[in-house]
Amino acid sequence: MKLRHEVLPYADDAAFLETTVPFVREGLAAGDMVLAVTGDRNLERLHGRLGGDAGLVEFHRSQEWYRHPARTLAACVRQADVLARYGRGLRLVGEPVWHGRGPLEVAEWQRVEAIVNVAFAGTGASILCPYDLRALPLSVLDSARRTHPLAARDGGTQPNPGFMDPWAFADTIDRMPLPPVPAEAASLRIDAADLYWLRQFVREYGKAIALEGWELQCLLMSVTEVAMNALRHGRPPVDLRLWVDQQTEKALVCEISNAGHWRPAPGMGLVPPAPTAPSRFGLWAVRLLCSIVQVRTGRAGTTVRLRLAVS
Amino acid sequence: MTTWFAERPVGEIRPGDHAWLAYTDREEQDRVIGDFVFDGLSTNEKVVYVTDSPAWELPGLLARHGIDATPFAEVGQLRLLPRDRACLSMGRFDPDRLLRTLSQEIDSSFEEGYRAVRVTTDLSWALREPDGARRVVSCESGFEDTVSRGTIAMAICQVERAHCNPDELQVLQNTHEVLVEVNPEFDDGVLTITRTFAPYGLRLEGELDGVRQSPFVDALAKLSSLQARRNRIHLDLRRLSFIDLGSLNLLGGFALRMPAGHALVLDNLRPDVEQVIDLMGWHLLPGVARGTSGGLL
Repeated sequence: MKLRHEVLPYADDAAFLETTVPFVREGLAAGDMVLAVTGDRNLERLHGRLGGDAGLVEFHRSQEWYRHPARTLAACVRQADVLARYGRGLRLVGEPVWHGRGPLEVAEWQRVEAIVNVAFAGTGASILCPYDLRALPLSVLDSARRTHPLAARDGGTQPNPGFMDPWAFADTIDRMPLPPVPAEAASLRIDAADLYWLRQFVREYGKAIALEGWELQCLLMSVTEVAMNALRHGRPPVDLRLWVDQQTEKALVCEISNAGHWRPAPGMGLVPPAPTAPSRFGLWAVRLLCSIVQVRTGRAGTTVRLRLAVS
Repeated sequence: MTTWFAERPVGEIRPGDHAWLAYTDREEQDRVIGDFVFDGLSTNEKVVYVTDSPAWELPGLLARHGIDATPFAEVGQLRLLPRDRACLSMGRFDPDRLLRTLSQEIDSSFEEGYRAVRVTTDLSWALREPDGARRVVSCESGFEDTVSRGTIAMAICQVERAHCNPDELQVLQNTHEVLVEVNPEFDDGVLTITRTFAPYGLRLEGELDGVRQSPFVDALAKLSSLQARRNRIHLDLRRLSFIDLGSLNLLGGFALRMPAGHALVLDNLRPDVEQVIDLMGWHLLPGVARGTSGGLL
């Protein structure tokens, strides 16, 4: 069952409804589970235009749906997988949120769009992504062309010539250089295989910035996973650095670096594990637990930077 | 009414302790009592056992420690007291007689120069008599004084769990300050793994991560090889403050390999740990079920 992943660039209400309404109706007729996720204004208009059919569609506000890149992707893929098992499709009108996000977040959401093409392959899902031409920066519109194989154009669906291989696109995100580690960062050399003391160090740091409960657990589990990989598969020295970044939103940043050159399989924990073949979910889980995970690897060494938004 | 009590591995029972073992099966009894008696005999302490069994049939000694206790009984370090001389009156359980007997035995041990004396008996049979529960309870209350009076006696009162109803179990438990359990399978100061029998499984305390996976894998493997009639293995996690992703993976893998209809149950997950698994999704751990919740202890 083939995936349909289509971008809908629109410049007014009419253009939005012209494509989304038939898309939804087509899904209802096919017995798909239909979700409409967009801004308040578009939700209202779509709801109104669908009339009686609106009751068969699940409506969600984009602000509430697109909260965390990996978690949103995981939930949607899971839904699509479950439906596919019963021969049904997931049909989603999904308008991501771009405003009010820092550049790192924007890059992650763009990467999610690219990974959709891999994660939903074979689920028979139909995903239509509206992009508002009036309100979005060119860079976002540009990435939309590269992450969607199809585009809604001239009243129909056309192949998108700008479409880029998802792994190649993901690579571009991973090639952006990391900002330097600030001078005030706390640091710890990791040379013991027993990471108990590492966690104590991170706990203390977390306490100082009131990070606790399950969010602290997320950090501890992520740090343990990354540090263990560095010790097992990387090359010493393995170093940990911790600091608080307040440039866009306040986040605790934890970086683990080692001198080894990591050559991971394409994906680097970007795709949810397949439901039929549960495998080691290490880096994928880390992406679920942290806000953003950045991996840079090369001959000079490997760096994994974990960001956790703190309130 | 909740009574404060301590759960103590048998290796840490000390003089002054009046401990209680409600054993679930023969394996648990062998492990606790076998170790209790063995530790006493091997460190020149006196052991007093009220039982009709011969020395070589005492729980756990032959099977676990490979020793036949008969020579110890012959020299008197192991004192086996048949019931009709220790605690029966007209064929029925007499709590006062038991208490008198044990007091005398403890005094004798002291006079003989032993620095400690271990006392134990299985009172399951007494519970089955008419009015048995009340008599056993009154005996236990007297036990406190007998044992804590001097500084050399420690006692374990055994009862087979299946012989009590839950109320009786609670009342009996309340007459003891110490619940004795098996010695841990593993304890390195960061992670402690202890076998549990009711429910069947393991208790994990502390932090479980990569470096400690081997002992955990071994403990799990031992469990499943004994699994037989049991289709659920329980992991008591109320004192587990950290588990890493690798170990979660391991649990998932273990659960997958269990036969159909079997489950690995996680009991009393700490809220912060549980929330993280909720976030990841329980579907990543097929065959692993969420059990009772109890939060922190």
